[in-house]
Amino acid sequence: MADSDRAPEIEVEDLVIRYGAVAAVGPVNFSVTQGEQLTLLGPSGCGKTTTLRAIAGLERPTAGAIRIRGDTVFDASRRINMPAERRGLSMVFQSYAIWPHMTVFENVAYGLRVRNASAAEIDEKVRHALDLVKMGAYASRNASQLSGGQQQRVAVARACAFSPKVLLFDEPLSNLDAKLRAQMRIELRELQHRLGVTSVYVTHDLEEALAMSDRIIVMRGGHIEQAGPAADIYNYPRTAFVADFVGSANLISGRLRADLARDGLIALEADAGRILYGEARGREAGPTPTMSVRTVHLQLNATQPAASINVWPVRVRRTVFLGDLTQVHVEWGGRELVVRQTASTAPAEGSTAYLSIDPARCVLLEADAATEAEQAPPPPTPPIVADLPIE
Amino acid sequence: MVAMTMVIVVVAIFVLYPVFYLLQAAFDVGPAEVRPPAAYGFDNFSALGKYWEIMLNTLVVTFAATIMALTFGFLTAWILTRTNVPFQRTLEQLMAVPYYVTPLLGALAWNFLGAPESGFINQVWRAGGGQGALIDITSAVGIAWVMALFEGSVAFVMIGAVMKSMDPALEEASQMSGAGRWRAMLRITLPLVAPGVLGAAIFVFAEMLGSFSAALVLGTPARFYVITTAIYQFVSQYPPRLPLAAALGVSLFAVMFGMLYLYRRITANRSFVTISGKAFRPRAIDMGWLRWVLFAVCAGYVFLSVLLPIATLVFASFQKLAVAWPAADNFTLDNYRTALSLNAVRSALSNSLFLGLLTATIGVVLTGLLAWIIQRSRLPGRGVLEYIVMFPQAVPRLVFAFGMMWAWLAFPIPIYGTFWILLIAYLTVFLPLGVRTISGVIMQLDKSLEECGQVCGASWSFRVRTIVAPLLWPGILAAWLLIFVASVRELGASILLMGPDSKVMTPAIAEAFFSTSSELTAAMALIQTVVVAAAMVVFTLMTRRAAVHGA
Repeated sequence: MADSDRAPEIEVEDLVIRYGAVAAVGPVNFSVTQGEQLTLLGPSGCGKTTTLRAIAGLERPTAGAIRIRGDTVFDASRRINMPAERRGLSMVFQSYAIWPHMTVFENVAYGLRVRNASAAEIDEKVRHALDLVKMGAYASRNASQLSGGQQQRVAVARACAFSPKVLLFDEPLSNLDAKLRAQMRIELRELQHRLGVTSVYVTHDLEEALAMSDRIIVMRGGHIEQAGPAADIYNYPRTAFVADFVGSANLISGRLRADLARDGLIALEADAGRILYGEARGREAGPTPTMSVRTVHLQLNATQPAASINVWPVRVRRTVFLGDLTQVHVEWGGRELVVRQTASTAPAEGSTAYLSIDPARCVLLEADAATEAEQAPPPPTPPIVADLPIE
Repeated sequence: MVAMTMVIVVVAIFVLYPVFYLLQAAFDVGPAEVRPPAAYGFDNFSALGKYWEIMLNTLVVTFAATIMALTFGFLTAWILTRTNVPFQRTLEQLMAVPYYVTPLLGALAWNFLGAPESGFINQVWRAGGGQGALIDITSAVGIAWVMALFEGSVAFVMIGAVMKSMDPALEEASQMSGAGRWRAMLRITLPLVAPGVLGAAIFVFAEMLGSFSAALVLGTPARFYVITTAIYQFVSQYPPRLPLAAALGVSLFAVMFGMLYLYRRITANRSFVTISGKAFRPRAIDMGWLRWVLFAVCAGYVFLSVLLPIATLVFASFQKLAVAWPAADNFTLDNYRTALSLNAVRSALSNSLFLGLLTATIGVVLTGLLAWIIQRSRLPGRGVLEYIVMFPQAVPRLVFAFGMMWAWLAFPIPIYGTFWILLIAYLTVFLPLGVRTISGVIMQLDKSLEECGQVCGASWSFRVRTIVAPLLWPGILAAWLLIFVASVRELGASILLMGPDSKVMTPAIAEAFFSTSSELTAAMALIQTVVVAAAMVVFTLMTRRAAVHGA
């Protein structure tokens, strides 16, 4: 049956987690299909780790239900709360949680010993798991003698060794340095594909989320801000928060000019009367209509491009060399826009250039984004490096 | 779950049942023979007014001792954490030793050294042409001195921890802002350390209020009483004045409780300011040649609190009559011969060791479970449980024992005057010690170490066996040793609760001091010290061997 391998592996229904009067999570709803790699992405304190721990059974939710392969493991109204050890999941912890009093082998063998596996089976599976993470040579090493990166690999091997159907990752790479993180990202992705397990991955790192997952759920303040495939989240952020958190974006507010709309595009009149064409993607604008324009989608041209819309002459205020990229600040209708482009083509400061953008790259943001923009207008000069790690 | 609830109930009974009887006795103004009391009132408390002198004595001794202990503690802590004093490591390890020398031992030794007539120091003083007594260890300041010597190492540990946990970047930032080193000390270091020092001051003050042995040995013969020794006097004299003792005990307990509450408030607010969870090695200030002076200060403290007292006791115990000058015809081994032949000593010593073994073994299981419940479980009552468990800290052991005396007299099972009441008393009064020690280790353990076992599918008992217990093992051993030592040298509770057939060592030593010669007492105290030290060594070797074989 072709349908069965896309059946939901994990279902989270109306999940609410409160600490006293403080609502940490919820209500949230989502499901993870078999073999899918889902990432919960968000800033610290958004409830992503709490949600993951609730799935694992390490956190007791206040309300809602969680089902794994159709079995209810938690249901507040039916007073069901299956302890973590019986849920049959596996998890990689942020701190790795490598047991310092055991060898690498014993750490990885733990889940198998719990399941009363035979000595031969344990030996074979542990070797296999350690080979997967390229730690085969370290089996007899004492766990306390490992470096951070090695501990991380052992933690992954331990989580895979007893062939769980679902792997949970709680910011597993956040304690590694940038180079190692980039490398492990690729390795983990490969490993996931090879094992074909369902995984839920928690991170606050955008690149990690984009690289690791089929689907991303962006969380904020305990709620789901947007869910969808990685490329959709990046290209079509639903709110100002997502636009800003996922990558770097210019937020342009103004009023909608229905009279200028054409070819399925909407038109937004910004402060100095500049008209920006973009896509509504079926969204309702809020009281202050706002569009998101990615800094890397904006183009700077020395000569005027042929397009008839979304082309403006601008003055270059400042260029900041960032290595792989150059960040250019241009004056646009009385405000500043940030453009990021490859380093070689950067114009000189003070020169004039033509700024253009494909209307398909300009997306209307939803209502709560507009109120958000009203309360805190987008800063004229966004932080230069914070949002895009240079590696 | 059921087991946990039972543990909580048992602990609550252990702690709260005696306190209830203590309060009942304090407010009982009816006829003495009628129980439960026929009338309640404050008469016992208003009767305390007559004994204002005792309160004054207590205040003088406590203040003097606190100031001295803090001075020792602050100086040594500063020297050992912030200067380039030579042999810093060795000195730091030696600083813990005064804690293991009992205050009773110290009081006995300083009595030999500083008694106004017979004290060795005064004998030397007069031989050198001095008049009268150079020092009087039986005075308020003398008693405070002995108390401070032994509490100084507690103050050192507390203040040292605060100084160590300070991020040196805070001071460096001040220097980089152009402020000199001394200005940094004054404007940055002191304000940051101040709450910790204040916390230590309050803690030490509360401990001194409840301390017993030094005042008993040095003050009682000259009829100089502080609150704790007065309570003991009221209880043990004939006829006993129990309601008065209870009222005195409740008053003392109320003050100590208030102080420890204050201490908790102060330290709770402070924790995040200076402590960032990392272990720093604060930069040492180069003191030049002065560092040898600082070395002498630390070494002098260890000398006065450990070496001198023990040497004095050894010296005195080999004499027929303890005098400052050694003489061949004064030399004797009789004190040891007598001490070892006394049935009281032999049974008391073996009772003490057996009780210590039992208390420590049951104690680590009990306090380990409690610490785990408090730190890691989600039981609804665990906040209250923590308060109950820490409660005995606020009650002087003597006062607590007084409550227990009444409580278990009224208990249907006759355990009063037996070995078992001592066991219950020790288990109760050392709850805070054990829970604190093991909690400290649990808090250092990453929670996810156990959670990971859970996610791997291990049941609770399997996790305890394979993860929790092995990782807590060092903490459990430390707690065992601490409880064992504390039990064997316990005085305040034992002196009230031991019966004629259940004698234990430390009260037996105190009794010997009052009823036999002080030279014999010295020999007894040394025998106890040696036996306890030997027991500790054996235990350490055994556990180390077990660890080697287990690995």
